[in-house]
Amino acid sequence: MMVIWITLSAITMLLLSFASLGSKLFNRYISYYSIQSLILTFTCSLLAYRLHLTDLWILASLTLVIKTIAIPFFSHHWLLKHLEIKRDTATNLGPSTSLILGAVLVALGLLLNLPESPDLSGIIQSSHISQSVPQLAIAIIFIGGLCMVIRKHIVAQLFGWLMVENGVFLLAITLVPTFAFIVEAGIFLDLVGAVLITVALAWGFSIQKIIPSASELKGLKH
Amino acid sequence: MIVLVVLAPIFPLAATLVTTVLLFKAACANDLEDPRGSSPGAAFSIVGGLGSLVCSILIAIPVIHNPYTAISGLIYLDPLSAFFLITISLVVFLSALYSAGYIGTEYGHNRYSYKKVQIYFIFFGLFSSTMLAALETGNIGLLWVLIEAATLSSAVLVGIEAKPESLEAAWKYVIITSLGMVIALIGILFLVYSASNVISHSDQRLLWQVLVVHSGGLLRSGLSLGFLLAIIGFGTKVGLAPMHTWLPDAHAEAPSPSSAMLSGAILNLGLYAVIRFVAIAEPGLGRGYVQNTLLLFGFLSVTIGVLFMIGQNNFKRLFAYSSIEQMGIVTVALGFGGALGFYGALFQILLHAIAKSTAFLGTGDLVLTYSTHSINKVKGVLNALPVTGGILLVASLALMGSPPFGLFFSELTILRAGFASADPWLAVFLLALLVTGFIAFGRKVFSMILGNPPRGIVPLEGKMAGGMALGTAKQIAGKQIAMIIPLVIGGCLLLILGLWMPQFLNSLLLHAVKVIEL
Repeated sequence: MMVIWITLSAITMLLLSFASLGSKLFNRYISYYSIQSLILTFTCSLLAYRLHLTDLWILASLTLVIKTIAIPFFSHHWLLKHLEIKRDTATNLGPSTSLILGAVLVALGLLLNLPESPDLSGIIQSSHISQSVPQLAIAIIFIGGLCMVIRKHIVAQLFGWLMVENGVFLLAITLVPTFAFIVEAGIFLDLVGAVLITVALAWGFSIQKIIPSASELKGLKH
Repeated sequence: MIVLVVLAPIFPLAATLVTTVLLFKAACANDLEDPRGSSPGAAFSIVGGLGSLVCSILIAIPVIHNPYTAISGLIYLDPLSAFFLITISLVVFLSALYSAGYIGTEYGHNRYSYKKVQIYFIFFGLFSSTMLAALETGNIGLLWVLIEAATLSSAVLVGIEAKPESLEAAWKYVIITSLGMVIALIGILFLVYSASNVISHSDQRLLWQVLVVHSGGLLRSGLSLGFLLAIIGFGTKVGLAPMHTWLPDAHAEAPSPSSAMLSGAILNLGLYAVIRFVAIAEPGLGRGYVQNTLLLFGFLSVTIGVLFMIGQNNFKRLFAYSSIEQMGIVTVALGFGGALGFYGALFQILLHAIAKSTAFLGTGDLVLTYSTHSINKVKGVLNALPVTGGILLVASLALMGSPPFGLFFSELTILRAGFASADPWLAVFLLALLVTGFIAFGRKVFSMILGNPPRGIVPLEGKMAGGMALGTAKQIAGKQIAMIIPLVIGGCLLLILGLWMPQFLNSLLLHAVKVIEL
């Protein structure tokens, strides 16, 4: 039963990545990210329950508080308002082209055969994780990266980066569920730091009256 | 020992905390407009940098022969980490000293507010502290966390001037290097995964010392993927081509002492992680796979670095592309491998760190005096600024690999390693690239250093001291001394290490080579 729930969670997370990839609205990016993080919390809690790992319970709580609630709340109520971000964002590619490219990347992620380990297959069986979950996580990372490439606004790119981070987190808890807690906690701290730095940079651009769009940033020449 | 190990990163962190408290106090008292006429953060940074350097040297003495482990491997120091600890803490100390003068001068010219000066020193300390802590951990995951934290704190230093170009450079730096670090993290995950069949305890799978011992039994397919991803990820931090695009922008737009830190410290931190992965991957994957990967990235970086130096007209970018070239040379040396290759690589790392940080610190004086980054507009530095010009000449000759400087000998060692390898023609190719780089770099730098300065160029000391009260003049003299001392130290170290190899350093290098060669 557990294997179905975790696989379903990973598939839903991938679908949300696709929804975000095909959208051009800032509000949607935030909502999709929040729901994706909620599902990640659920997956992490399931693993914590199954493997009896306190560390994973703490990480699930952190995911819920920081990724599902704090970052989306802050983005909705402060970021969009103070940076005067328009409702929709510009992208380098149209939604249909982006989705086709996304599908290619998913195929690439699924083609990536994970190396087999006799001991690891034991871990996977004991934690009831399907072999396809790490592949789905890699596909989420690829789509997050694609979002970063095709979006022009740097705050929109930030949400692509956050999606990449969600994919890495899913990969970490499914590939090596016993990853040391101190490392996972450090990754969380870095994530918060990265969000703050990016927001500070976006703030700096808005003070300078520069449109915080990657396509407008051409001041630096080789 | 544990006290020294803890103190090395704590010194700059303490400077950060004290400066933060002072800034907070000033903000609460609504006294942010020049409360004291100088920045206390500068003094704390110098003390922090000096403290870290002294601790690093004291740590290295016992660690040369006996690696030190504490807190279940969370803290781990061997000759390799001790070597990098000394290299990076030296760069931190020199940059802290120079920052006191440079940022103080910018503050004196009202280009930096009191708040901005304090923020600079807060993040300078945080940057230094996280880098030093990263070198002291034996936990590969914690190393990743600390390198990423160093990246984020250094991004503030890159964008501190808040000009459109510096913000753009900081944004590019954060995005590219963070993505690189995500790739490195996936690489680490695969490495840990590959160890699941040989290391039973999950926490042990993250420790360098344990992974190296079991490297022969790691799952081959997981290790090869993990190694490749780690080289791409940490290689982004090192500035290896084709992931180097953030490097010239960040180096050019950051204030000169921050550029020195980026080039002399953070690039080496990335190299440290790469070297650790090489030490694990070689026994597990065999020499061929590791060698080919390193040589590919190395030669690409040297070629890109040299080609972009040829047409360069911005002296900070010129030094940045030289860093890409130098990092490429080190990677090629690691690819050639063997005791000679590794020894040459480590010696090159140390000397490049000293030479490049000295050169970048020297450019600070050029920026303040000539108010431009253009090579075509900077002439006669030796006449206008004899001390800076002289030391810039020494650092540039060293970077070009001229005798009698140490980089000549390290490059010679790398070439010898190349000729001794299975493909000696690669050494010939490297030699051709080095000669091209020598000409490209020398032509640009000599055009700035020699000749007569343009009309109206007044040396910094004259520019500032004219018509000032005695107290102000003394303050300026203090800033000038703070800017000259690190240049003189850097220049002297380059000369000394070219003519004489201290026994302690040689022993440290030889033991560090043994760590990689295991």
